Amino acid sequence: MKLRRSLVWTAAAVALGAVFMAYLRPDLVVTLANQIWNCF
Amino acid sequence: MSTATASAPAYRLSMTQVLLCGAAIVALSMGIRHGFGLWLAPITMDRGWSRETFAFALAVQNLAWGVAGPVAGALADRFGAFRVLIAGSVLYAMGLVLMALATSGLAFTGSAGILLGLAQSGTTYAVVYGVIGRNVAPDKRSWAMGVAAAAGSFGQFLMVPVENWLISDFGWQQALFMLGCLSLAIIPLAIGLKEPVLAAVTGVQQSIGHALREAFAYPSFRWLMAGYFVCGFQVVFIGVHMPSYLKDHGLSPSVATTSLALIGLFNVIGTYAAGSLGQRLQKRHILSSIYLLRSAAIVVFLSVPLTPWSVYIFSAVMGVLWLSTVPPTNAVVAQIFGVQYLSMLGGFVFLSHQVGSFLGVWLGGKLYDSTGSYDVVWWIAVALGVFAALANMPVKESAILRPAQAVARA
Repeated sequence: MKLRRSLVWTAAAVALGAVFMAYLRPDLVVTLANQIWNCF
Repeated sequence: MSTATASAPAYRLSMTQVLLCGAAIVALSMGIRHGFGLWLAPITMDRGWSRETFAFALAVQNLAWGVAGPVAGALADRFGAFRVLIAGSVLYAMGLVLMALATSGLAFTGSAGILLGLAQSGTTYAVVYGVIGRNVAPDKRSWAMGVAAAAGSFGQFLMVPVENWLISDFGWQQALFMLGCLSLAIIPLAIGLKEPVLAAVTGVQQSIGHALREAFAYPSFRWLMAGYFVCGFQVVFIGVHMPSYLKDHGLSPSVATTSLALIGLFNVIGTYAAGSLGQRLQKRHILSSIYLLRSAAIVVFLSVPLTPWSVYIFSAVMGVLWLSTVPPTNAVVAQIFGVQYLSMLGGFVFLSHQVGSFLGVWLGGKLYDSTGSYDVVWWIAVALGVFAALANMPVKESAILRPAQAVARA
């Protein structure tokens, strides 16, 4: 039970970290920045 | 009032099944819609439309989502969430395909605005929370709602980079077709939320009219709606106007991008934490604390010098508080009124949220135009946060005493 819980939390942390890293990719930064700036 | 106490629940879906299917549905539904802003540039350039055409359709989508929410919720409560989810999934796919094919502003508003707004009302929190409420025991309900809300937050966080990748690799139109196919994945997931005998699991039977009169006459329900209105105002004002605020103060675009990523990341953590805390603490205290902390965070943010790090810290704090109001608010509604009309009542509370969202965006722009800065709106957001904190304090979390029960206790 403890092991399963630890695995779930680890998987969640890895998924969150991976998505966060995706936001730091230059192409997404440029796209989002353009979208954000274009809107105003 | 017609009351008839039903026997103990005859059928219950397993909690794991409800959570897996419900969380996946909310993640898909909330995630797909969250990246629509990425289509602004390609669609307006390709079709030769103004930004206003695009923005108007998305504004209509938000209003349609809010207005249709109580109706979708009532249908889900009456005929089963399964049917509403399937209808919502089909509408979602149709809306996305027609959004890709629309060649006039009117057709775009009809698809991206009305169809997708209706689809979201049938596939998001209110409908799924009804199933969670009816199939998860009260001692785990708030936590389960937190899991579903966290999944929705994760969907939002995940789908922005995914949709950006789809647009850049396949083109904006193909990307919409692909998302249309993806939205149909809600159908098999909805099967996991099919409740065998709906009436048997709801306890005291009420008519829709009575449930509505009862809720709107009950002060705690009105306080919850008032709080959720403030939630919508603050979150959408910050989400929409924050980049412009940062730009006005000379910060680089990458700061705004990182800010969005941090809000998304901490939002997942905050929604889950709020749901879990709801099992241990009084939910009105959690809600009051969230609103008060939001006001405090804004005051500190406005008081310190604006630097990238002040933005990052503010974004992380606001991220934790972002959708964390969702699980406790809906759990309190279930606690007070029971679960028979949970989706419909959740839909009404969400309508209040959407009205607040509309005002947050609109007032943000209007007051910026008339005063030349966001200062006034920031302080309105602070004042509203304090108001919402106070408004949630008198909320009575115990189950409402209905006439038949009152007589029985006398």
